[in-house]
Amino acid sequence: MFEKYETKKEGVIRGYDVHSFYVKCLIIVILIICILMAAACLFPALWVFLASFKDIKEFKTNVTIFPSHFDFKVFLKTWNELKFLNYYLNSLILVAGSTVCAVIFNGLIAYGLGVLKPKGYKAVQGLVMWSLLIPATTSMVALFVNINRVGLNRSFVPLWLAYGANAFFVVLFKQFFESMPSDLFEAAKLDGCGVLHVFFLILLPLSKPIIMVVTIFAINASWSDFLLPYLVLNGSGKETVMITLFKFRNANTPFVDVLRAVFYSIIPPAILFMLFQKQITGGAVMGAIKE
Amino acid sequence: MLNLETGLERSVRTVRKQNFFKQKDTVGWLVMLPTLILFAFFVWEPLLESIRLSMYTAKGVRLQEFVGFDNYIALFKHPDFLAAFKNTFTYILWSLLLGFPIPIIMAVLISETVHLKGFFRIGVYFPNMVPGMATVFIWRFFFTPGNTGVLNILLSKLGISNQIWLNDPKLTIPLIILTMTWKNAGSTALIYMAGISNISGDLYEAATIDGAGIWQRIRYIVLPSIFSLGKTLLILQVIAVFQVLYEPLVMTNGGPNNASISLMQLVYNYAFRDYKYPMGAALSVLICVVLVILSGIYTKLTKEKSKGGRGRDV
Repeated sequence: MFEKYETKKEGVIRGYDVHSFYVKCLIIVILIICILMAAACLFPALWVFLASFKDIKEFKTNVTIFPSHFDFKVFLKTWNELKFLNYYLNSLILVAGSTVCAVIFNGLIAYGLGVLKPKGYKAVQGLVMWSLLIPATTSMVALFVNINRVGLNRSFVPLWLAYGANAFFVVLFKQFFESMPSDLFEAAKLDGCGVLHVFFLILLPLSKPIIMVVTIFAINASWSDFLLPYLVLNGSGKETVMITLFKFRNANTPFVDVLRAVFYSIIPPAILFMLFQKQITGGAVMGAIKE
Repeated sequence: MLNLETGLERSVRTVRKQNFFKQKDTVGWLVMLPTLILFAFFVWEPLLESIRLSMYTAKGVRLQEFVGFDNYIALFKHPDFLAAFKNTFTYILWSLLLGFPIPIIMAVLISETVHLKGFFRIGVYFPNMVPGMATVFIWRFFFTPGNTGVLNILLSKLGISNQIWLNDPKLTIPLIILTMTWKNAGSTALIYMAGISNISGDLYEAATIDGAGIWQRIRYIVLPSIFSLGKTLLILQVIAVFQVLYEPLVMTNGGPNNASISLMQLVYNYAFRDYKYPMGAALSVLICVVLVILSGIYTKLTKEKSKGGRGRDV
């Protein structure tokens, strides 16, 4: 197992260190710690799945990690009892609209800031960068009051549009556009392409990777979003999965039903993660490398 | 091709290019306009509106009369504010002790592996995908006192008696920070790993020739290289901790006896539980002022970094 370390490209332990016994021990210890770390990260979600198989009696009396039997019918039963299909559909409506808004609006402003750079764009850029650091939660009260004033409460519209004003996505788009070779735009300019031509014929087809990343992040963020959806949608019959989950916090819902609800809420992001690990872990690092 | 270009064609192109630049300004702003309106409505205007709101009394969402700083004074006098204010520092302290070093340790360790490296990267990032609301529910099950709590089940296997976890006022905040760290450490570790993988192998080799052992290489090469990255991530972390809301709201409801109530939770209680929007707005403004100062420090730190010629190498 140590041969692979001979060609190790990064990190403190170099290929030439591996011959010493001490380093070999160290390598094994590190590997064990890393396995434990990954286990600690994955176990809680796995436990939710395992414990969801228990019934209430078993949950209270049988204090083990593993359930005594695996019966997938219980998931279906709770799903129907809690009418989760309804909440899933509401979440789906929220996610779809939010994602479309996130891509279109943030992409457009990034095209302005990163490529067109019209006179005075720097002021906008500064404002957007500040919004990146001032978290949305601090203006939640005023935003909620405003949404009420314009009569958009109990509607998906403000939640969708809120994703069109996301500084993080703007930065992702902008970085991507700026990393494109400028010759590309020069050539297009010389050929007399209009600004919108450049956008639709050159920028958009080449932007697939970044649109992908923003789409994935927007799906995950809007699926997990809680506070604003709760304030706007609660009591309107359009409650999403997260709102429903939150309502379980004091209610007398049986523990196992809450557990299964938690499990339902994790499935979509888990599937998303399985499908797009590369884009997601890559995007997480990309966003941190700013300016 | 270009050589054959006639004078006429060339001048046509110049005109077109000029057109592009003229067009660029108007169309540029037109392209940005819809998003600017959204930013104004969802981000910038609410910030100003918070200030206005915080100086009025209100009935529901309708403003009644101007009262100046009365809401702020009422806020300061309220015992919950003092508790939340104190707790915020405890939150920050524990996030410095747990949330800050853990991702660094994870990144250094995972960078040293060759086997299963892809699995580790994905494994530690996974908690970040779990929705925040689900995370706090999961950990509430883990911290359940009595013998049905998951951690108590695990501890009983080691022969340790049941703990009361979140019900112990001394443990509440550290455990909440632990929950937050579980969720966020992996994604932060990936950023540090990107930093570590950018360190040139020559540095290690030169250090080895000078007789540096493995620990010395970590101390004198790895840690200094991720130092500037660490500074910025630390500020971002403090900003995040300032807004901790879901965890105390769902896991402890601020208790026991206000031991874990956070500033954002107080905003939530004022505005969305008691419908006192002006009070909620006043507290939001205070939090915002602190965050603006922290963001200022952050911007200064990132600027210094790029001045140092390190640019995008984080």
